[in-house]
Amino acid sequence: MTGPKLAVNLGGLAMKNPVTTASGTFAAGREYDQFYDVARLGAVTTKGVSLDGWPGNDSPRIAETPSGMLNSIGLQNPGVKHLVEHDLAWLSEKALAGEPVPVIVNVSGHGFDEYVQVIEALEEAPVDAYEVNISCPNVDAGGMTIGCHVPSVEEVVRRCRAATRRPLIVKLTPNVTDIAEIARAAEASGADAVSLINTLLGMAVDAKRRRPKLARVVGGLSGPAVKPVALRMVWQCHNAVGIPILGMGGICTGEDAVEFMLCGATAVAVGTANFMDPLAAARVVDGIAAYCEEQGVDDVNELIGALEC
Amino acid sequence: MARANECASCASDGVRQAVHDARVVRNDRMTDALYVMELEVDAPDVPAAAAPALAAAIRPGQFVHMSIPTLPSHILRRPFSVYAANAATGRIEVLYQKVGQGTAEMARWKPGQACDMIGPIGRGWQVPEGATHALLVGGGVGAAPLFMLCEELVGRGVETDVVLGASTKDALVCRERYALACGCAPSCSTDDGTFGREGFCTPLVEEAVAASVAAGNPYDYAAVCGPEPLMRAASATMADAGITCEVSMEKRMACGVGACLSCVVDTVEGRRRACVDGPVFDARKVVWR
Repeated sequence: MTGPKLAVNLGGLAMKNPVTTASGTFAAGREYDQFYDVARLGAVTTKGVSLDGWPGNDSPRIAETPSGMLNSIGLQNPGVKHLVEHDLAWLSEKALAGEPVPVIVNVSGHGFDEYVQVIEALEEAPVDAYEVNISCPNVDAGGMTIGCHVPSVEEVVRRCRAATRRPLIVKLTPNVTDIAEIARAAEASGADAVSLINTLLGMAVDAKRRRPKLARVVGGLSGPAVKPVALRMVWQCHNAVGIPILGMGGICTGEDAVEFMLCGATAVAVGTANFMDPLAAARVVDGIAAYCEEQGVDDVNELIGALEC
Repeated sequence: MARANECASCASDGVRQAVHDARVVRNDRMTDALYVMELEVDAPDVPAAAAPALAAAIRPGQFVHMSIPTLPSHILRRPFSVYAANAATGRIEVLYQKVGQGTAEMARWKPGQACDMIGPIGRGWQVPEGATHALLVGGGVGAAPLFMLCEELVGRGVETDVVLGASTKDALVCRERYALACGCAPSCSTDDGTFGREGFCTPLVEEAVAASVAAGNPYDYAAVCGPEPLMRAASATMADAGITCEVSMEKRMACGVGACLSCVVDTVEGRRRACVDGPVFDARKVVWR
């Protein structure tokens, strides 16, 4: 007996199953490869990379909140050259030794030029798709400030599009009035897919000390607490655009992933759950397969947007 | 701009981690806030050669990252230094302080309670080859991550002195065990003067260093764990005396495996992860705030 067909195509990126990792929760996969072969995933999405590297924000950088967490890491990364020479090199070596895993590189920048420069620095490297991060709430320039403003979204996506023929995924912030409008702008400017949601801007306070729990005061909320918001936004974008959606926000189990697919996601990313259980992303792959077998679903693509309402 | 973390994903020392199932054997209340939990830890569900039993594999100064399965709305694990480990029984002990809802929940656990833990994690204490005289300084629950080191040093024949500081007499919960391991009483201080010297333990550290120099037998290694002001002050004392010193840093942590960059420590080499580049750092490399 053969199992259900799990392969999906995310805007030109062929994935053997619908599961990747949310940028920033998985580094480039090496830390998790000691727990399971990360080539079991449909793709690995690497932590946001900028041109020259950023030191990130001061500590404390995280705070636990009910069914979630806040982070204000601030895109600490050693720069694109290091990513190519160390992380992408490791992923290539690993692919030679076993099964290859597609690599989505999350691209960050302080301004339009930097996004393009990072993509240019990666065009000769073993990368399968780009995820353009116009939604990080934890940096002062670029990031979310671009992702909230339609003309800026159009500009950055158009320029990234001109810089590459590889699949271009645009990662959206939920911290906007109308996410469908932003998704439409990304689609119209040449995005092959949109990914959502990045974290929700939030805050945590230590009442006894009368201080914020994060050094940067505000941070991004993630984890199971955000899942209803993420599902709603995936559903809204599914009804607004024709390009595929990479859905994320609090996914911990195969059934969580299926809920995103029913709302219109072609693929899903596991993020904060990696911190709860280092095997979480692999368990989500198994959980989707188990759901399909139990529900008589022969091809996981049948689930995409199949919500009955 | 400060130099970014140069090599965030390739600096770990190759310790293989795994997720281990565990059960509480005992959960002893030592004071209102301090507990010692003993756990029986299973071998992981992977080939044994790749990830041996945790209690046998864990090195002094390493830690485990524990789930709190009875509090599902608290999604993150909690890192605990291993206080003692017994390879023969497969059991480990952690000393923990009730500081938040996670540790308050753990304090309610009864024997038999199941949880799981990632481990062994991190860079433990790295005693220099040829060290002959060591000083261990533990403030509060910082006494725990030094105990396995104490046993190892004594086992290696290294002359080992211990300074412990705590808020009050009852909070010196490791004192008798150290005395047994070392064969001599640790030098102690309490904030309220109910045992040993009144006040912080930093004067005891300075006196121990001065006495070792005066006796012509200076320390050649020091290990310090406790509140940051203690570690900063003790590091300065050791630097002035030319003594190799290590500190164990505690930071809020999410993944515990080196991926999320939540737990970074400012060092002269840039920001480093407390979980896998530490928790033990060369004291001279830490940039104190």
